[in-house]
Amino acid sequence: MDWIKIWTFFFFLSLALFACLSIVVTIGGFFNIRSLFKDLSAARQKAERSPAGDDEKQR
Amino acid sequence: MDIDFTSLGFGTNFSILDWCIVIGYLIAIVSIGVYIRKYIASATDFMVAGRGLKTFLAIATMIGTELGLVTVMYSSQKGFTGGFAAFHIAFAAAIVTLFVGITGFIVVPLRRLKVMTIPEFYEVRFGRDIRILGGIILALSGILNMGMFLKAGSLFVTGVTGMTSEFHLKIVMTVLLCMVLLYTTLGGMVSVAILDYIQFVVLSFSLLFASVMSIRHLGWGNIVDTVTREMGQSGFNPFDEAGFGWSYVLWMFFMGLVSCAVWQTAVIRACSAKSTGIVRRIYMLSSVGFLIRFLIPYFFGICALVFIANNPTLKGIFLSADGKANSDLSLTAMPFYLSQILPAGFIGIISAGMLAAFMSTHDSYLLCWSSVLTQDVVAPWFKKDLSSNARLLLTRIFIVAIGIFILVWGLWYPLEQDLWDYMAISGAIYSIGGFALLAFGLYWKRASRAGAYLALIAGFLALLGLSKVQQLCSPLLDPIKKRFEIEGDIPSAIIGLTVLALAIVLMIVGSLLLPDKKQIMNSLETQE
Repeated sequence: MDWIKIWTFFFFLSLALFACLSIVVTIGGFFNIRSLFKDLSAARQKAERSPAGDDEKQR
Repeated sequence: MDIDFTSLGFGTNFSILDWCIVIGYLIAIVSIGVYIRKYIASATDFMVAGRGLKTFLAIATMIGTELGLVTVMYSSQKGFTGGFAAFHIAFAAAIVTLFVGITGFIVVPLRRLKVMTIPEFYEVRFGRDIRILGGIILALSGILNMGMFLKAGSLFVTGVTGMTSEFHLKIVMTVLLCMVLLYTTLGGMVSVAILDYIQFVVLSFSLLFASVMSIRHLGWGNIVDTVTREMGQSGFNPFDEAGFGWSYVLWMFFMGLVSCAVWQTAVIRACSAKSTGIVRRIYMLSSVGFLIRFLIPYFFGICALVFIANNPTLKGIFLSADGKANSDLSLTAMPFYLSQILPAGFIGIISAGMLAAFMSTHDSYLLCWSSVLTQDVVAPWFKKDLSSNARLLLTRIFIVAIGIFILVWGLWYPLEQDLWDYMAISGAIYSIGGFALLAFGLYWKRASRAGAYLALIAGFLALLGLSKVQQLCSPLLDPIKKRFEIEGDIPSAIIGLTVLALAIVLMIVGSLLLPDKKQIMNSLETQE
């Protein structure tokens, strides 16, 4: 088994995959953050309107 | 380890510009973390971001946490000492994470149960006392596991900046820890998720760029030739017993599973995800991240070896006459190498990314272990439920207490083995028992409390994998070493695998001999 060839192929393929993933996650993550803040703001406003709702049931 | 590389003609490329980049970056991310505080309304927001993380942000935060500076440090050390053969660890991590993503093994049922921590599952499945014992073991193992984080991080700082004074090292460690404590105690999981995202972006692109720079600087052919010359076949073949060997490869597959499906800091991401479908997607896509978080640092370690081995002065310092790496110096080889080949300006960006990674890992781990102590060790003792505010306060107190502990431990504990092996074994104290409880608890109806107790306690034997503990237990271990003709320490992989097998056997035997009177599995299925 030629380990040098295996690791060379494995390394460059992984770098390429990671480069693609980085671009996708960077763009997608940005939109996810915007959506998270919207959800949290909405939840906060809801909690302020109903002070009894302390938190979801704690186990 | 006070070696003045500047006087040897190896001054760092780290300049005033780089200091400005690092300081500006760190101030910016801490400010963001503090600003995000206004979005925290409850303990659930604080601990699992209101379970509102969507796919890409969850992937970024998962990789952001796992691709920490400590990971980069211990992985580069493995690359430096093990050569290309160390790539098998990255391969194992990717394959196992992909397997978990495809099958949903452990993480999907956990997300369905809506638990925040793994010991919370222990209570649902095995009872409250198992939750408390499991919580104590998990927190103990986790805190011990992160005990060397500060030391590794500070070695990076000194290596890359060319600082040689121990005093400077301690100051840097303390300042960094204070910054982490500040924004972790204020922002919780929301700030962790956002900062992990920023760190993911900075670090992933700078690591890719540094990899390309390394190949251009050293040449791929030269890298392969030097590893062949210095290590021979064991530098490439992971099964070669002169290097890693079969047992180590097997142990790494188990550690890969633990890292993504049993280790609380990764599982908390699954618990934070919006749905079980997202959990699967996170794991499938994160398999590339789990691969790369090891692979690129291994490559940097290999490049450091090539850089050092081709320079007689440096070779004399870092490598002994038989070509073996000095364990203390091998940790600093990678930052030293980066300080030599990266240009001013870029080295500041990558250092800022690494330090952000250092802080990101710390915040996630601090949050994780403090949550476990609050939710699983303290809260179950109260008959009446603790209020959300009391839990938040307790979590913050634990964060500060753990921070102080790791500062003291990092300065005091003498690391006498590869950092990765220390991490694997300290983590195994929990993860071996934890794996048995999760796998059997979720998928085997007859798993009982007695089996769970035995498996959790068996995990403690993994401590024998630490060099220091082996030295303390030498009267007990020497006959075993003699019997199996082992010179030096018993390999941590052998100990880990043996303890794992023992925990599984005890779980099965304990469950069969002492079954639970009440069938808890039915109530668990009802909750799902």
